Amino acid sequence: MNKLVRYSAQAVFYALFFVPLAYVSHQPNYRYMEDDIAVLKVAVRHAGEIIGECKSIVGESHGMRPSSMVQAVEVCPRERSPLELELILDGETLYRAQVAPSGLHNDGISSMYQRFELPAGPHHLQIRMNDDIKVDGFNWQFEQDINLQPAQVMVASFKEGFRIQ
Amino acid sequence: MKSLLKKGFNALDSLFSKVFTPAWNPMYQLGALSFFYFWIVAITGVYLFIFFETSITGAHASMEYISVEQWYLGGIMRSFHRYASAAMGVCVTLHLVREYAMDRYSGVRWFSWVSGIPLLWLLFASSIGGYWLVWDIQAQYIALLTAQWFDWLPIMVDPMASNFLNEAALSDRFFSLLVFLHIGIPLSLLLGMFIHIKRITGARTNPAKGLAAGTLLAMLVLSLWQPAMSQAPANLDMTITEVGLDWIFLNPYTLIGSWGPGQTWALLVGLSSFLTIIPWLPSKREKQTPVAVVDPENCNGCGWCLADCPYEAVTMKVHDYKKGHQQSVVDPDLCISCGICAGACPSSSPFRHVDELTTGISIPGFHIKELLSLTENKLHGLSTDKPRIMVYGCDHGSVLDDMASTNIATISMPCTALVPPAFIDYVLRKDLADGVMISGCCEGDCHYRLGNEWMNQRFSKERMPILRTRVPRDKVRLRWLGVQGTKQLGREVAEFQAHLEEEQLDFVELSNE
Repeated sequence: MNKLVRYSAQAVFYALFFVPLAYVSHQPNYRYMEDDIAVLKVAVRHAGEIIGECKSIVGESHGMRPSSMVQAVEVCPRERSPLELELILDGETLYRAQVAPSGLHNDGISSMYQRFELPAGPHHLQIRMNDDIKVDGFNWQFEQDINLQPAQVMVASFKEGFRIQ
Repeated sequence: MKSLLKKGFNALDSLFSKVFTPAWNPMYQLGALSFFYFWIVAITGVYLFIFFETSITGAHASMEYISVEQWYLGGIMRSFHRYASAAMGVCVTLHLVREYAMDRYSGVRWFSWVSGIPLLWLLFASSIGGYWLVWDIQAQYIALLTAQWFDWLPIMVDPMASNFLNEAALSDRFFSLLVFLHIGIPLSLLLGMFIHIKRITGARTNPAKGLAAGTLLAMLVLSLWQPAMSQAPANLDMTITEVGLDWIFLNPYTLIGSWGPGQTWALLVGLSSFLTIIPWLPSKREKQTPVAVVDPENCNGCGWCLADCPYEAVTMKVHDYKKGHQQSVVDPDLCISCGICAGACPSSSPFRHVDELTTGISIPGFHIKELLSLTENKLHGLSTDKPRIMVYGCDHGSVLDDMASTNIATISMPCTALVPPAFIDYVLRKDLADGVMISGCCEGDCHYRLGNEWMNQRFSKERMPILRTRVPRDKVRLRWLGVQGTKQLGREVAEFQAHLEEEQLDFVELSNE
């Protein structure tokens, strides 16, 4: 094979390698979601109430403590309540879960995130949460009519109450 | 499946050797090409980093500036960065499949194989980080799916997805973290690449200059014709409906969306684990013969075997009993039993005045003494009505089974670099044969990495032990044609025989005159 033919053939091989490579590095398009769908994201990052009461330490148990701790008059538990969450859309329960507190002693915050793909259009949204096992039912409630636009991302989050963004 | 793959690669090898020549054949340099692409990505990455803004609004805008305003340099750099990383992904995958098909992953080679598996993950992570930084809708897709993927793991206390709830939740600091990761992960990849080649002598990390130049030229043309561009800027307040994907690296992301994160983890971790244990799975491949053995009595400490061992299995130590001398030591965990060391040993000369031929280093299953007696036995029985030819071949190259005839003797061995040049001298000088043909794997693609290269150098007197000047070169031929060149080798042996016959006739005519 003479040089000219060989270099021409090499050019063809380079093209056969790089042209498909350039194409598949951004094409064909991938359809991730249909056009008439919207997304509702629910994200809660909240510390449940402490479980149990503080106990006063007096008498015998007080006397057993080292001198550096004699000022302490009560001991408080660290464990927190899990969050009970419920999300109802148009009267149907979309999500219900108990979110445990983080940490080895269950004394950290509870975090949850859920993503829902919903048909665009008007909906009735209810979110209910209990963050204290001493309380029956839900001590946090949110209810709102929403109108989701196609491809819209709506976020429901919690900070001293639920809110929609 | 493996034999089918091997046939496919052999066919490709032949085709590429014809078009690129064996020295430039990209199929023989997939590892070196991967290194080359890495360096292109690294160098262009440094340039891009100078202009990149690590902020929500600045990231996309700065990339647009590079691609549009500075198309003549920054745009080309960006295209090189993108296409070289994609090419690296393809080369690495081909390299893995090819090494598997060619049975180059088990035994001593387990280390290179296993150390290559984490590199796949690091390469994947590096590419993901790069696409993320651009902060276009593909980056948004990556952010959402990565968060979904990692949030499935029970180790996440705070969901990663909560960082990408909407535009208000996103922080500039996140881009600083991404830049840090996009530098740190490729550096880890580079470290891993050096570990990957740690047990290989003279690992090829640079492709042939011609191939490198051709690659750069092709990438330049591609970058001008199809410059890498961003897609629309990311907007977390809107969801993505359709996105242009890099299908080379982002295939697993479509699985996260369709199968779910748990199944995708199971598939990728399962596949990686399977690849990791492949070297130890039962297989039909031939068992490795016993490793090289050093005979201290015949080892003079020259170090030629150390220089020739392709897997750094030979080291030197103070001689057991000869004062002021050194001797070779073989690490059985690294020795692949190719026998190249025996071919390099100056003691492997059949001209030595000893009762029984022995040598300083040899393979127990194919001792140099056995090679000599096999050679003599095969040649003694040959008919002299036509020129006699001794064909030495390797078990991984052209198949010699049907080549033997009344005038042609064949011997196959693990690697033809096991044949000391002195053997060829001996065969011709003692008139055991009229010509010697050395065959083996394809040029540039020795099963034991360097066998045919060392033989070429020994024959051209560039490497010890050399083929002595007194050996008539027209009576010796080196042909590296590989298993796919078996038929061609048969034709070339016949042609060699005809050539020798012609020479003999010329000689007779001259003598009569």
